[in-house]
Amino acid sequence: MSALKTPLQRGIAAWLVFAIVMVVLPHLVGTGVTRSFVFAMYLAIFAISWDVMSGRTGYISFGHPFLIGIGGYTTALLTYHLHWPLYFSIPTAVLMTMIGGTLFFFPALRIRGTYFALVTLAFMELIYGLVQVIAPKVTGGTRGLSGLDSLVTGAIPNYYLALVVLLILGFSMWLLIRTHIGTALSAIGMDEDAVRASGINVTKLKLFTFMLSAFTAGLGGALYVHYLGSIAPRALFDVGFLFQILVACLLGGAGTITGPIAGAFFLTFLLEWLRPYIPGSERFLIYGTFALILYVMQPNGLHELIRLGIKRLGLLAPGRRAS
Amino acid sequence: MLEATNLSKSFGGLQALRQVALRVEAGDSIGIIGPNGAGKTTLFNVLTGELKPDSGQVFLDGMAIDAEPIHERVKLGLARTYQVPRPFADITVRENIRVSMLKDSITFMLKLTWDDEGERQLAESVGFTSQQLEQLPSELAMGDLRKLELARTLATNPKVLLLDEVFAGLTYGEIENISNLLIEYRKSRGTTYLIVSHDLKALEPLVDSVVVIHGGGILKQGTFAEVVNDPEVQDAYLGTG
Repeated sequence: MSALKTPLQRGIAAWLVFAIVMVVLPHLVGTGVTRSFVFAMYLAIFAISWDVMSGRTGYISFGHPFLIGIGGYTTALLTYHLHWPLYFSIPTAVLMTMIGGTLFFFPALRIRGTYFALVTLAFMELIYGLVQVIAPKVTGGTRGLSGLDSLVTGAIPNYYLALVVLLILGFSMWLLIRTHIGTALSAIGMDEDAVRASGINVTKLKLFTFMLSAFTAGLGGALYVHYLGSIAPRALFDVGFLFQILVACLLGGAGTITGPIAGAFFLTFLLEWLRPYIPGSERFLIYGTFALILYVMQPNGLHELIRLGIKRLGLLAPGRRAS
Repeated sequence: MLEATNLSKSFGGLQALRQVALRVEAGDSIGIIGPNGAGKTTLFNVLTGELKPDSGQVFLDGMAIDAEPIHERVKLGLARTYQVPRPFADITVRENIRVSMLKDSITFMLKLTWDDEGERQLAESVGFTSQQLEQLPSELAMGDLRKLELARTLATNPKVLLLDEVFAGLTYGEIENISNLLIEYRKSRGTTYLIVSHDLKALEPLVDSVVVIHGGGILKQGTFAEVVNDPEVQDAYLGTG
């Protein structure tokens, strides 16, 4: 490990190892596990989207399904009714998420703490209602739309599609929080007014990271519905779905990007492993309890546990505080 | 350099500022004194843009800055320290200084490297030792917290520095340190100071003149000696007037 001196170099090396393992993986496991990984990767993309905006700033979003839903519904409607090719409908969906999300979320960034969380939660519930009431013939109402086009078919092609998106988004966001922007976002989470007093336009920064978050949510959402081949309001605008994203982030370690990815994988496979023993929704109770215990024991999440583990193995230079 | 005209501000029924007019020339150092609740901090808050005045205007370098938000005023050279130091609690002294040295530009912020040397120099210029750089604010004494507050403010290269009770809660040794630092800094940069302090003894060597605020208005203005010997001012402080 002597060539890997800085935390940045060690991080990039870890990303490389992760990428290689993930590329090889589908050749080692069965189709069922591969499909679970696809779900894990989409959950990881949604968790990244949440983490960019909320992980450091303290603006806890309860409305990310709302953003993901804009992306999902836009591409679903364009392809289902207007027969747009996916190559046009998906970028349009991303753009719509960024525009639509800005119209709703950005005004909400003026309020803080619990109020922000509640207002964003209200957005999600609002659109859940609207999708069913306004033009149910177009949106498919409560039952949603099925038989949507797919970008690629089969477990393995879908796996690699999700992997490429996850690696590009994950790595760029991970780099981003290592720049001065990450530092500024952490500072906003601690004392927004003090950041302003250092001559920083906090609003511009929040808007910037919000755009990145919406981009990620829109892209992930659009690809996800084409992977599923269907879309329904209760599958997306749902507190259960929201909590999976939140738990993945908190369990993994909010504000680190890699933590939420780890959290998403952990959560997906925890639920999969529990399925044979507890087929009903009671297993969500188990994961909730599990998440709570882990969170109380290590509030900085899996990310911190892994870091401490590596440190104990002597791979990390001692005495350095993580920045 | 800094001018305020006709500033008024009330909170509900309480008139915190009444028609305050203030003119500070470049390089001046002016003390602002007055009993508790006189409106000193409100005046600062209005000058920095944290509060909007009910009436009146603020000019910096001859330019009206009333429409400028806080961060723009800071970039124009108007910076302040807070009466109660407010460091970023979860990060080290070095990282606190790092945040204050950020430039307000997304493209400029997209950098992975840090100015370690600049951070160290700024920290040392206010008297931090290199070990203290890696300490958390919770491990610092009050005097060091004030130093950190000062370092973070100096990072913005202020032309006008508003210092709110920089000596409160400090030991004599710490007061002397901070005082010397402020004198040195002013000598080398020609920075304009506005200093709020209850500690008149500490204030005296730092200021060219003193403004007394009482009940939201300016009661007296003059040299330190003129003002403290004024019977009206003494009455205001002792509450016999």
